[in-house]
Amino acid sequence: MSWQRLSSLRVRLIAVFAAVALVTAVSASGIAYWLNRDAVLRRAQNASLNDFRGSLTRTVSQLPLHPTCQDLSSLAVQVASSGLAYDVVVVDPSQPDCTASSDPIAFTAKQVPPALVTAVNKPREIGPGNPYQYHLYWQRVNLSGPYVVGGTKVEPDGPTAYMFKSLQNERADLNTLGWSLAIATLLALVGSALLAQGASATVLRPVRRLGDAARRLGEGELDTRLDVEGNDELADLARTFNRTAESLSEQVAELSAREAQSRRFVADMSHELRTPLTAMTAVTDILEDEADSLDPMIEPAVRIVVSETRRLSDLVENLMEVTRFDAGTAKLVADEVDMADLIMSCIDGRAWYDAVELDAPRGILAVVDPRRLDVVFANLIGNALKHGGSPVKVKVRQDGETVVVSVSDGGPGIPEDVLPHVFDRFYKADKGRARSEGSGLGLSIAEANALIHGGAITAANNPEGGAVFTLTLPLTQPPAPGPEEAP
Amino acid sequence: MTSVSYLLLIEDDDAIRTGLELALTRQGHRVATAASGEDGLRLFKEQRPDLIVLDVMLPGIDGFEVCRRIRRTDQLPIILLTARSDDIDVVVGLESGADDYVVKPVQPRVLDARIRAVLRRGERESSDSAAYGGLVIDRSAMTVTKDGQDLQLTPTELRLLLELSRRPGQALSRQQLLRLVWEHDYLGDSRLVDACVQRLRAKVEDVPSAPTLIRTVRGVGYRLDPPA
Repeated sequence: MSWQRLSSLRVRLIAVFAAVALVTAVSASGIAYWLNRDAVLRRAQNASLNDFRGSLTRTVSQLPLHPTCQDLSSLAVQVASSGLAYDVVVVDPSQPDCTASSDPIAFTAKQVPPALVTAVNKPREIGPGNPYQYHLYWQRVNLSGPYVVGGTKVEPDGPTAYMFKSLQNERADLNTLGWSLAIATLLALVGSALLAQGASATVLRPVRRLGDAARRLGEGELDTRLDVEGNDELADLARTFNRTAESLSEQVAELSAREAQSRRFVADMSHELRTPLTAMTAVTDILEDEADSLDPMIEPAVRIVVSETRRLSDLVENLMEVTRFDAGTAKLVADEVDMADLIMSCIDGRAWYDAVELDAPRGILAVVDPRRLDVVFANLIGNALKHGGSPVKVKVRQDGETVVVSVSDGGPGIPEDVLPHVFDRFYKADKGRARSEGSGLGLSIAEANALIHGGAITAANNPEGGAVFTLTLPLTQPPAPGPEEAP
Repeated sequence: MTSVSYLLLIEDDDAIRTGLELALTRQGHRVATAASGEDGLRLFKEQRPDLIVLDVMLPGIDGFEVCRRIRRTDQLPIILLTARSDDIDVVVGLESGADDYVVKPVQPRVLDARIRAVLRRGERESSDSAAYGGLVIDRSAMTVTKDGQDLQLTPTELRLLLELSRRPGQALSRQQLLRLVWEHDYLGDSRLVDACVQRLRAKVEDVPSAPTLIRTVRGVGYRLDPPA
């Protein structure tokens, strides 16, 4: 289990609940145990001591003045026989060798603790608060089990009697109590863990729901909302989440509306520009044919009109193409063609045959939109001729299920800082140049055309110098359009 | 071309109409113009041009409708002027019976080349005939009869049938057909072939939806199967 899991909210809650339960249960049981223990022991002990005192007082008066060992033994037996199951040992200074005990095998004078002997034999001053010279003293000792030993002298020169009372039964009772309390503590711990589990579930379930909702929102499901239940902090959090999601989706909607609007504007504008351009294009050929026979003052002006009309026409065409890609309305009219034929016709159509070295084996057939690929090759080769210069080499190879076309040139290559931007629209490598020689959209359109085929174009520099553009295309289009009808 | 061809240009925008008229006239064509579909249809009936250059976006009845109305009675070549090459316009236009299309703004040289290519399709070249079941293709008279009845084919449909019938049983790719029939010297729009095959099937097949003569060869193109 990872550390993160260990520090999870659920684990922490259970730990806190368990700690509280443990402290409460242990302190309550502890106090109860000690109070009980004291009360039980004291009651048993006091009963025995009082009985011992009474029995001794009654019996000692029958003792002769100079008792024999026999007398002392019978005294011990007599005192012990009063019924509370204690044993008695009697010691007389005049009979030091006599062992007078109600149970001489188990209990002798030697088992009496010396401190007790000292306390018992010490006479007290008789005064207003103290009517007796000798007091009853007791001490708890451990002789093959818990015992209370009490002892007293009745008369100054008389014998000293000691009582041995076993507390075994009380100890057993207290042990039972201790076990019960320990079990109760354990149960409290288990209960607290279950409670913590329940409490964490009530907290964690909304937290998990919130987490799920936040993830969905992040994945773009902007209509994700939470059900707000109750009025607690978690409900507040859910409300905040809902408000955030609401404003987020509003902003996104507004942004995309604005974007769609500007796209539509560009599309409409290009469309509007096309009508005058069509009329202008229609007459440029006439102007061009007649330019040679015009006044030398007018001829350059006519040439500018002709060339700029064509440039404008290209630009508008490219703009429209870009808006089609942006709007996702660009369509693929795919057909199976030989890549070598395709590139050959592109080169032939633009009279580039002398400037381009073509290395293309015939027989590489790909399902592509020939007109879109013609645009791609025209852009890549035209770009290489314009910026790189000869020799422009076009190489076609089949690589598994893809066809790879590389267009390399013998120019200075592309500066490293320009490389990432070559496919950007209207990107100008040289900021000082007022306008690009092409429309500034050519490579971006080429890239979009590659993408719509499920392919890609990359730009790089050749180690031997010059730039290399590499087009990679799948040989087949996933939803191959073509003859729909059954043969 | 020895004879001067007579074109009808139907285009609503004054500048484009005048510009194209100037350019096409310079290319050696005789050009009549109309500013609307209705005017165009009337002129067409009065003047009987060799070919029509038709704008798609027209006020009143649009270019597609003009195309369909002409096709009801006549099989002369029609070239569409469309706004976009990948638009639904092209598909609808070709289904309405147009033979070819050019995209605005069009270079007059390109339009002229297309016009001449379309007009060439109607020229006779050999002098034999072939029969495929009930279908008889008379290459000298440039007529096609089915079960003795004359079929009205446009020059493009006729040329397509001739090219297919010249190589019976052999599959021709769309790009091959584009070169042979449309004289596109670059790789062209295969929808031209698909649309023309559809129209041709509608005229020559017994059941156009289940063609037996002009078969589709999946992944290749089309093939004319002589009936067994």
